[in-house]
Amino acid sequence: MLDPIRLAAMARKEWIQLRRDARSMALAFVLPLLLLLFFGYAITWDVRDIRLAVHDADGGADARDLIQAFESSGYFRVVSRLDRSADADRELEAGRALAVMAIPPDFGERLRAGEPAPVQLLLDGSDANTATIALGYADAIASRFGQQVVLRGVRIDPPVEVASRVWYNPELRSRNMIVPGLVAVIMSIIAAMLTALTIAREWERGTMEQLAATPVHRLEVVLGKLVPYLGIGFVDVAVAVAAGVFIFDVPLRGNLLLLAAMTLLFLIGALGLGMFISAAMRSQVLATQVAMIATYLPALLLSGFLFDIASMPVVLKAATAIVPARYYITVTRGIFLKGVGVEALWAQGLAMIVFAAAGLGLAAATFRKRIAP
Amino acid sequence: MTDRSRRWGRVGALLRKEWRQLFRDPKTKRIIFVSPIIQLLLFGYAVNTDVHRVATWVVDHEGSATSRALQDALTAGGYFRIVGRSDRPADLARALDRGDAVIGIEIPPAFGGDLAAGRSPAVQVLVDGTNSNTGTVAQGYVTRIVQRFGTERAAGPNRPAAGVDLVARAWYNPGLTSLVYNVPAVLGALVFMMSLLLIGLAVVRERELGTLEQLLVSPLTPGELMLGKTLPVAAVALIDLVLVATVAILWFEVPFRGSPVALVLATLLFALAALGMGLLISTVSRTQQEAFMAMFLLILPALILSGFMYPIHTMPEAFQALTLVNPVRWYIEIVRALFLKGATVAELWRPYLALTLMGIGVFAVATWRFRRAVG
Amino acid sequence: MTVAVEVRDLTRRFGTFTAVDAVSFTVERGSIFGFLGPNGAGKTTTIKMLSGLLRPTAGRALVAGLDVAAEPSRVRERIGYMSQRFSLYADLAVEENIRLFAGLYGVAGPRFAARRDWVLTMAGLTGREAEYAGDLPLGFKQRLALGCAVLHEPPLLFLDEPTSGVDPVARRAFWDLIDGLAQAGTTVLVSTHYLEEAEFCHRLILMNRGRLIAEGDPPGVRRLMREPIWAFLPDDAPRAVEALRREPAVLEAAMFGRAVHAVLKPEADAERAVPAALGAAGIGFRDLARIEPSLEDVFVALVRREGGAVVD
Repeated sequence: MLDPIRLAAMARKEWIQLRRDARSMALAFVLPLLLLLFFGYAITWDVRDIRLAVHDADGGADARDLIQAFESSGYFRVVSRLDRSADADRELEAGRALAVMAIPPDFGERLRAGEPAPVQLLLDGSDANTATIALGYADAIASRFGQQVVLRGVRIDPPVEVASRVWYNPELRSRNMIVPGLVAVIMSIIAAMLTALTIAREWERGTMEQLAATPVHRLEVVLGKLVPYLGIGFVDVAVAVAAGVFIFDVPLRGNLLLLAAMTLLFLIGALGLGMFISAAMRSQVLATQVAMIATYLPALLLSGFLFDIASMPVVLKAATAIVPARYYITVTRGIFLKGVGVEALWAQGLAMIVFAAAGLGLAAATFRKRIAP
Repeated sequence: MTDRSRRWGRVGALLRKEWRQLFRDPKTKRIIFVSPIIQLLLFGYAVNTDVHRVATWVVDHEGSATSRALQDALTAGGYFRIVGRSDRPADLARALDRGDAVIGIEIPPAFGGDLAAGRSPAVQVLVDGTNSNTGTVAQGYVTRIVQRFGTERAAGPNRPAAGVDLVARAWYNPGLTSLVYNVPAVLGALVFMMSLLLIGLAVVRERELGTLEQLLVSPLTPGELMLGKTLPVAAVALIDLVLVATVAILWFEVPFRGSPVALVLATLLFALAALGMGLLISTVSRTQQEAFMAMFLLILPALILSGFMYPIHTMPEAFQALTLVNPVRWYIEIVRALFLKGATVAELWRPYLALTLMGIGVFAVATWRFRRAVG
Repeated sequence: MTVAVEVRDLTRRFGTFTAVDAVSFTVERGSIFGFLGPNGAGKTTTIKMLSGLLRPTAGRALVAGLDVAAEPSRVRERIGYMSQRFSLYADLAVEENIRLFAGLYGVAGPRFAARRDWVLTMAGLTGREAEYAGDLPLGFKQRLALGCAVLHEPPLLFLDEPTSGVDPVARRAFWDLIDGLAQAGTTVLVSTHYLEEAEFCHRLILMNRGRLIAEGDPPGVRRLMREPIWAFLPDDAPRAVEALRREPAVLEAAMFGRAVHAVLKPEADAERAVPAALGAAGIGFRDLARIEPSLEDVFVALVRREGGAVVD
């Protein structure tokens, strides 16, 4: 059915056109790297140096040690010391501090007596994420501190020891999470945008009719157009992976060959989607806009890139099933951080095969139907 | 007829035309009325950093009442959800590898007995750090819940626990839900994108169709033309503001504590800056295609550096400095403060001043470029 | 006669609009077959159906012995197609365009080199292989497009208004090429709305509003007009036309430069009726004579006879 000569003729023509179109070349090679560097550097979720105001009514050695424990953790930075507890409101309202710690007058005394010594922590809860993380850190620092002090006086073992270990990303660096995900988000957008132009352009310029009048099969057109973009997509991913490893220091623990195979599947689906949009819209302007809407927000929000799919409402959770980036992100993170292989990622691979087939099938089918004037 | 009334007649005619064009096309109507709601719902629900119902795998080597009580304690708060149990640690590793679970808990064989005897049993917790955010928070929760469980059990219900007792209270958002923080920020993203896209494409489209030339040979001055183009879009921005704010307050139950007048004022200043950027793009671009790409390249960094979705205070210094020239950042700061804190214009003088300067500055440059481009 | 194309009751509807309405004809191999009619008459739609670009709603078309609706791709291997719009790749060089279509039509090896040279010579583009197709003058573009359409030496060539927008000299040269192809055995189906181009065709059909209204060779089609046409030079042409239009024996009167042409009812006596009408209006004239109808006159007359109006 597929004729290799015709396929090669289409692919060569597409590549020549692509090479001559400066805008497409920039979109293909410059933009992905720019986006990767920009996103990769700008987005970090590592909460450090939380601005802390302290009201120390005790003033004793234990209270000073507690404040010291907060500062030396690296998570908190004491930005001001308050004389009156009433000032706490002002600090939070003005946004000068994200948290205010109030140590009561009898803090040291109660601690020494082996009684619970309450310490008040006020948080600016408007940024829930930062506040939650800050609270977690404060909690850990306070409980460790309490144990140490108690241990100094009366020896008490902690009732339960929590031996906690973090796998895959022991320091919980957000960059390790973001960079592998970015590869998927960026390639979703770029792939669809690149191919969104390709069929619409032929319609707009009238060359589609000439193609349609030749014996070339619609699948040959779609595949012939796919080949050069697939090459570009591969180069992009390779550059992004290298940047991830060498610029962002993300560990790459898994099999590169598996990553390449999965990337191939993902790219075919993403490029096919762009071609489908292109064939359906038949206008370059419309096709780019639709491609952008269809890929940008879903890849960013519904892929698990930053926001956990598990905590979404049912409807959104169901919607994520048809976002190809979701599967590819699991793959890139799995191969980068977890070092897992096919045994853990076969389901994602299957899903991406379905998307690849659907993308190409839809593109070819739509292209066929729309041959009419 | 006086000169002035002629002028208003011309602008009025143009305004009527622009307004009709905006609302005649069903596609544009969808963009104006439907897409903001969809985006608000999408952003509101998806941009969620709350950690709850974390998938947890349990390997319970003891299987006693105490070990089961510990599991109940974990799931009771809604933070954790047990997705699987087994007695082989290898299963736990597999669940984490495959991403079926984010947290793994291994309870030692003599857990209950050791706890009762005061022998400090060690509970092994494994955290999938792939999502560093979830990992950090979940790890904190597990530690706290297990330790509190141990303290309660070991000390008995009547003896208070020793040590530092951290009493935390979160202001403005006591439940620490990210929704109330994110939903007001969606306003900023939407007003920005809407103003930019509508104005940017409107001018380029007329240029592509050749109708811009037709308008320019009419007695309209470039200033009048700009006014006619921007006023309807500003009106649309305000309509969207009301639409989105209403949904945010009634559907998402985000509190609105500030003054509506302050919100409208900020939106007008912000729209001025966004419209100026849109006009600039449309004077530089020759085709809709180019304009669209330019807007994409502007919207992307503007949203990343706005504090919406990605916190500013964790960014590297250079990027934090960049946010200072981003109107979206200032607008979102105002909107959040108005919604959550009930702040006043006086308290927010810095962002208001920044928006005013940027709005006037960008719009002035855009006017100058526009006059030159069409003149 | 050997039949190259056979069409029976070919129909195409777009929604409620019938673009081509039960058209039937046969085309002899090696002939130039013309479709005539104004824009919107259904010529392009007919050609698109014959090329397999558009599915017929009803009816049947056999092209080179193959049913177009059933085997469009096999038909496409046997035809060349060139549309009214320049549809080669403007951002590809001349040679790259030729190479592309050679690949798509499976022209390879030594045959490719020979055909490429043939196209370059035919289009007058030898030595300009590296120029972008988009930068060529329109006449060259059109000949290059023709060359790409016949790279694979198809037995059938479909040309949809190939000369629109081209200047008269280039148009003439183009028709010489078409004639050469036909003499070499290619069957050419060509549509045009330049009625004078119809003279180059061996056989014609006239279409209006999707229907076939006449068929024959050019002299035969001309003979279909039974109403005589008379021409004269009046002193005041606009008033002369006005006067004639009031005369019952005159079906139609129109200005052609300073002259006026009048179509009369077949039974009318022109040499009496025309002077009478002009004399009554006080308009002087000279050189009253009967003239040969042009194809345009024939076309208008046929449409009028059907009681319809010309679409344009």
